[in-house]
Amino acid sequence: MSELLQVKNLYTKFHTEDGVVPAVNGISFNLKRGESLGIVGESGCGKSVACLSIMRLIGHPGQVNAEIMQLEETDLFSLSEKKMRHIRGNEMAFIFQEPMTSLNPVFTIGFQLQEAIRLHQGLNKQDSQDKSIEMLKIVGIPRAEKVFSEYPHALSGGMRQRAMIAMALSCEPKILFADEPTTALDVTIQAQILELMRDLKERVNTSIVFISHDLGVISEMVDRVIVMYCGMIVEDTNIRTLIKNPKHPYTVGLINSKPRIDVDIDKLNSIPGAVPNPLNMPKGCPYHPRCNQVMDICREKIPEKERINEGHGVTCWLFSEQGGKIKS
Amino acid sequence: MSEEIMQLKNIKKYFPIRGGVFSRVVGHVKAVDDVSFGIKKGETLGLVGESGCGKSTLGRTILSLVDPTGGEVRYKGKDIFKTEKHELRRLRRELQIIFQDPFSSLNPRLNVGEIVGESLEIHGVASGKEKQERVEYILEVCGLAPHHHRRYPHEFSGGQRQRVGIARALTLNPDFVVADEPISSLDVSIQAQIVNLMEELQEKFDLTYLFISHDLSMVRHISDNVAVMYLGKVVEICNKKELYQNPLHPYTQALLSAVPVMDPDSKSERIILKGDVPSPANPPEGCNFSPRCRYAEDICHRDEPELREIDQGHFVSCHLV
Repeated sequence: MSELLQVKNLYTKFHTEDGVVPAVNGISFNLKRGESLGIVGESGCGKSVACLSIMRLIGHPGQVNAEIMQLEETDLFSLSEKKMRHIRGNEMAFIFQEPMTSLNPVFTIGFQLQEAIRLHQGLNKQDSQDKSIEMLKIVGIPRAEKVFSEYPHALSGGMRQRAMIAMALSCEPKILFADEPTTALDVTIQAQILELMRDLKERVNTSIVFISHDLGVISEMVDRVIVMYCGMIVEDTNIRTLIKNPKHPYTVGLINSKPRIDVDIDKLNSIPGAVPNPLNMPKGCPYHPRCNQVMDICREKIPEKERINEGHGVTCWLFSEQGGKIKS
Repeated sequence: MSEEIMQLKNIKKYFPIRGGVFSRVVGHVKAVDDVSFGIKKGETLGLVGESGCGKSTLGRTILSLVDPTGGEVRYKGKDIFKTEKHELRRLRRELQIIFQDPFSSLNPRLNVGEIVGESLEIHGVASGKEKQERVEYILEVCGLAPHHHRRYPHEFSGGQRQRVGIARALTLNPDFVVADEPISSLDVSIQAQIVNLMEELQEKFDLTYLFISHDLSMVRHISDNVAVMYLGKVVEICNKKELYQNPLHPYTQALLSAVPVMDPDSKSERIILKGDVPSPANPPEGCNFSPRCRYAEDICHRDEPELREIDQGHFVSCHLV
């Protein structure tokens, strides 16, 4: 199967008054057609910035660098802004976290939906209106004709998120980036939206990059997962292996610190400390101050990604030859 | 069985909706509508529900932080709503609250020592050196360093700020603490730290918690009993084991099934509710849940169900159970 999206050594830095913030620190991953990939991590780990960088939506004072950033045969990195606009919304679409703030309050839902359809598909007014209403029906909005001419404030959170999804899918993109699409919603509404996204994915065969901090949501939505910490990928594997047999101490900690609805636990296993300040990163592995299996080498050198199994990569000295030697 | 430290009877809190030229009252938002239950000493009662169901308003009404529309709260036998103002102030020493957002609930102009120690002076419990010692002790108990009392809130991370919020609630040695979504704005790895801290403190100071949250997994972890709220009413209340293993109200069943499970092999059936929560200003006739309920019958659209004891200690408000 051919790779749909290839990213190699992606770096995103923000030049602030206080210094350079390395938000994304050399991440690499591939995405196949029809595949769903999850990106997990805590706030500030760079998961959203990575996706925005691929969409080329990072503005000043951000700076994006990558060895390879390719959508099929197209090099996204060197593309002109004009051509990029053609790809954005058409071949790659984005669903934002906050349905409350990401819709423009002074335009109707219909206007905002039509905008992308007319721009990318060249339909006339009537056709694009028909298509918009059809999209609203597909995402399960009742009274679609009426909602078409309503303003965002008239809709509930769940309905707004549906409208966002309709907008993102209206041009049948090859890749859909969903940045915490259900975090602001209640669980019962979240269940509706997740069901809808799974359903739509089957129907249009879109690849999804699903960003979330909730491993529960991730494990229901994706085939493969990337775990990020401080702008680095610390572990990547399929979802089954990650939940059943996590390797990186951070992943283990993350899984154990979440209580489960189906199992009783006596005491939650918490990760001590907090995420380091990106302006003042610790030397060596960024996780070492919080790690319970820290070794001398972790404080000195940043580990490199190690393939420990087919399709299972871990960035930790515990699993590299060099680190292992030192341990023994 | 230990005594009930808090008894709630028919608590109501309606917010008026004003409209028209003369701002007349044109309706009411029934944020909390006829809620009754008891909380035993030393237990944790989890209060769950979706946003807008009235769980935070209930927590604040119990502490008399908002004026109730009706009902009574008995704290150690005393009716809080009827006590005199100065008496209520004394009672407040024993009744405390931890707020949801550690970023907006701490005054940015006060240092941590002032935030945590303020209540000691207001209540005339301690001042000067004594106050200082108490503040340093409480900070240490809550996992902060004693020298942190000179710092300001902006110098702390979210988790540390929430520790300050907890320390503030505990300085006066309260008996009953309302924790209003204390972890929902924190990262997963920090949530576990705060919940563990709250459990330790409960044991150490013999606290009773009303733990308000929308995170059903966390409530399962921390609570002894759980109450489920929907549109201003408690629809089910019982001990946590019973609730999570044998939920009887259709809303509780749907709510529990909607929580994503961190297990790729899990094959549990998911009940997808249709539609949104109705507006509390205009609740449906009969049972509040009837428009979304998959079992709804005629009676549900007509009559309002009462909270009945189905099994020992298991109360459900549904016609069909």
